[in-house]
Amino acid sequence: MPLDLSVVVPLFNEEESVRPLYAAIVAGVEPLGVSFEIVLVDDGSRDGTARVADEIARADPRVCLVRFRRNYGQTPAMAAGIAEARGEIIVTLDGDLQNDPADIGELLARIDEGNDIVVGWRYDRQDKLWTRKVPSRIANALIAKVTGVPIRDNGCSLKAYRACLIKQIPLYSEMHRFIPAMAAIAGPRIAEIRVRHHARRFGSSKYGLSRIYKVLLDLMVIKTVASFTARPMLWFGMLSLPMLAAAALALGWTCFTLATDGRMSLSIAGAGVIFLTSTVTLLAAGALGELIYKLGDVREHQFSVLTQHLLVRGAATHD
Amino acid sequence: MIDSANGPVDVSVIIPVGGRHAADMLALYADYKEGLQALGSVYEVIVVLDGPRPEVAADVQRLLASGERISVIGLTRRFGEATALVAGFQRATGRIILTLPAYHQIRGQEIGKLVRALGTADLAIARRWPRAGSRFETIRRDAFHRLLATITGQRFHDLGCGARAMKRRVLEEINLYGDQHRFLPVLASRVGFKVLEVELHQSPLDRLQGRYPSREYIRRALDVCTVFFLVRFTNKPLRFFGMVGVSTFLVGAVLVAWLAIDRLVFGQPLADRPALLLSSLLVVLGMQLFALGLLGELIIFTHARGIKDYQIEEVVRYPAPAHAAARAQPAAETPAGESRPHVV
Repeated sequence: MPLDLSVVVPLFNEEESVRPLYAAIVAGVEPLGVSFEIVLVDDGSRDGTARVADEIARADPRVCLVRFRRNYGQTPAMAAGIAEARGEIIVTLDGDLQNDPADIGELLARIDEGNDIVVGWRYDRQDKLWTRKVPSRIANALIAKVTGVPIRDNGCSLKAYRACLIKQIPLYSEMHRFIPAMAAIAGPRIAEIRVRHHARRFGSSKYGLSRIYKVLLDLMVIKTVASFTARPMLWFGMLSLPMLAAAALALGWTCFTLATDGRMSLSIAGAGVIFLTSTVTLLAAGALGELIYKLGDVREHQFSVLTQHLLVRGAATHD
Repeated sequence: MIDSANGPVDVSVIIPVGGRHAADMLALYADYKEGLQALGSVYEVIVVLDGPRPEVAADVQRLLASGERISVIGLTRRFGEATALVAGFQRATGRIILTLPAYHQIRGQEIGKLVRALGTADLAIARRWPRAGSRFETIRRDAFHRLLATITGQRFHDLGCGARAMKRRVLEEINLYGDQHRFLPVLASRVGFKVLEVELHQSPLDRLQGRYPSREYIRRALDVCTVFFLVRFTNKPLRFFGMVGVSTFLVGAVLVAWLAIDRLVFGQPLADRPALLLSSLLVVLGMQLFALGLLGELIIFTHARGIKDYQIEEVVRYPAPAHAAARAQPAAETPAGESRPHVV
C-alpha cells in the first residue's frame, strides 16, 4: 500500500534532538490528514542516537529506522532514506531541529499545485554571519548562475520531491546540496517557499568553511554532467577555447614576424604549438566523454521519459 | 563429522597457490587439517591453483587418492592471488571464509584463534608475532605499513600474511582483483567492516627468503598508489585531479601573467625566454588534468546506480501492534525494501 508521504531524516550524533524532532514531525504532519511514514537514517552515530531512534520506532510503527554500519556522510544517508521511503512524496529535513516540520504542510500544498520539487528558503537564517551566512550567499549565487536554477538556498535540507523524480537522480559523494540542480536535467517544475529556521538547540554544527573548495568542484561536476546530457562536446569545446585563443595569438605573431622580419622566436612558436596541442587533446577528451556517456546507464531518454511522466502527473493534478 | 558431505558447511577454507608455495604441500595440509579439526565445525577445503602448477597438482592428487575431500580449481594462467581468492570464493558455501597461505606462515593449531575472533569482528587478520627476520627486513616492513597508515589512516602490521578469517559478506561486497588481496583489510574497513588483528605465532618453517628484487618494490609502490586512489577518491575523481590540475594551472598562469607584464610594461622581449615554454606547458598540463578529472566524474555519474556508496547495517520496521514487541527481521542481508509490509 503506497503512502502519501515519507519524511526522511538523516541523523548523526543527535541523541538529544531525536525525540523532540519526532514529536515535531508528528505534530506537523498529523493534522494534514495524509498517510505518512518517518524514515530515520542513523548515519553511524557514536552516541545513543540509534538506541533512541529504535525506541521511537518500537513505539510508533510509522517510524522506520535505517542504520548505517559507520558514518558515511549526509548524502549517502539521504540516498538510503530515499531508497527506503515508500511515500509518493518525499520530504527531507535535517536532524538538528533547525528546520521546522510545521512547514511540511506548505511544502505539500505547493507540490499539489503541480510542482515537482519544492525547496525551503531559510530567509531568516539563525547562523553565524561570516562563517556561515556570507559564504552560503556567495555559493548560492554562484550555483544559481552556473546551473541556471534560481534557488536562493541550496543548503536548506527542508525540501519536498515527487518520489518518482528523486528516486531517479543519482545521489553520491556530497551531491545532496545539488539535488535541484541535478534534477533540473529532467526539467521539473521547482518552487521555493520561505521556511522557518531555528538556531541549534543541541550539539554543534558539523560543517565549516572547508566546504567552499568542495562546493566549487562539485559545481564543475554538475555543469559537466548537465551539459553532457544536452550537448556532449560543447563543454569541452568551451574549455578548449581559451587554449585555442592563446595558440592563435602566438602562432599568428610568429607568422607575422616571419613575414615582416624573416625571423621567428622559438619560444613563442613553441608556446603556440603547446596550446594548439592542448586544444586538440581537450576536444579528444570531449569525444571520450561522449563515449562514456553513451555507454553509461544514465541516458537522456530516461530523463525525458521522466519529464513526460511528470508533465502528465502535473496535468492530472490540475484537472 | 567434519567434511562437506555432511550438511551445510560452516567454514570454507580457500588456499590460493601462486608462485610461492611450500615444498611439502602434504605436510602443510596435515598441519592445517589439525587446526581445522580442532574447530569442531563442518568445513570444506578449496585449493585454487593460480596458473598451471603440476607439482602441486600432483600433491593434491595424492591427497585426493588418500581420501581427503578437497575441491580443486585450476586457473588457466597466472591471474594473481586476489583473482584466485575470488575464484575460490565463488565455489565456497561456508558462512565463514578462511583464507590460508600456500606456505608456512602460521601454525595450523592457531587457526581456531583467528576464527574465534570473528565473534567481534567481520574480518580477522593474522599478525605473525614475534617475528623472525633480519633487521633490514623488519625496517622495510615497518616502513611499508607506516606509509600505508599515513595514506589510508589505518595502521596494520602484517598485511603480507595470508591467513585471514572473514564473514561471507566481506567478500560478497568487496570487489578484489589483481594483487589487491594484500589490501583487503584496508578496503574492508573503508567500506565499514570491523577488522581485527590477531597476534599468532609465526610458523617455525616460515623462512623469509629475503630476496626482494627491485621489481617487487616498484610493484608494491604502484599498489600503494592504487590503494591511495581507491580509498580516497574513487567516488570523487575531480577532488584529486582538480587539486593537482588547478595548482599546476595556477602556477603556470601566474608565470604567464608575469611574463606578459614584463613584456608589456617593462619592454623585456619575450622572444628568447624559455620560461614562456615552461609556463604554457604548466597551464596546458593543469587544464588537461582537470579535464581528466571531469571525465572521471562523468564515469561516476553514468554509473552511479551501480556504485554502492554506503552499507546498511539493518532496516528496522516494527509491525503495527507495537507492544507485540516482535522485532521485524532486520533486513541486514537485503537492504532496502525487503522489510515487512507497513500498516497505517
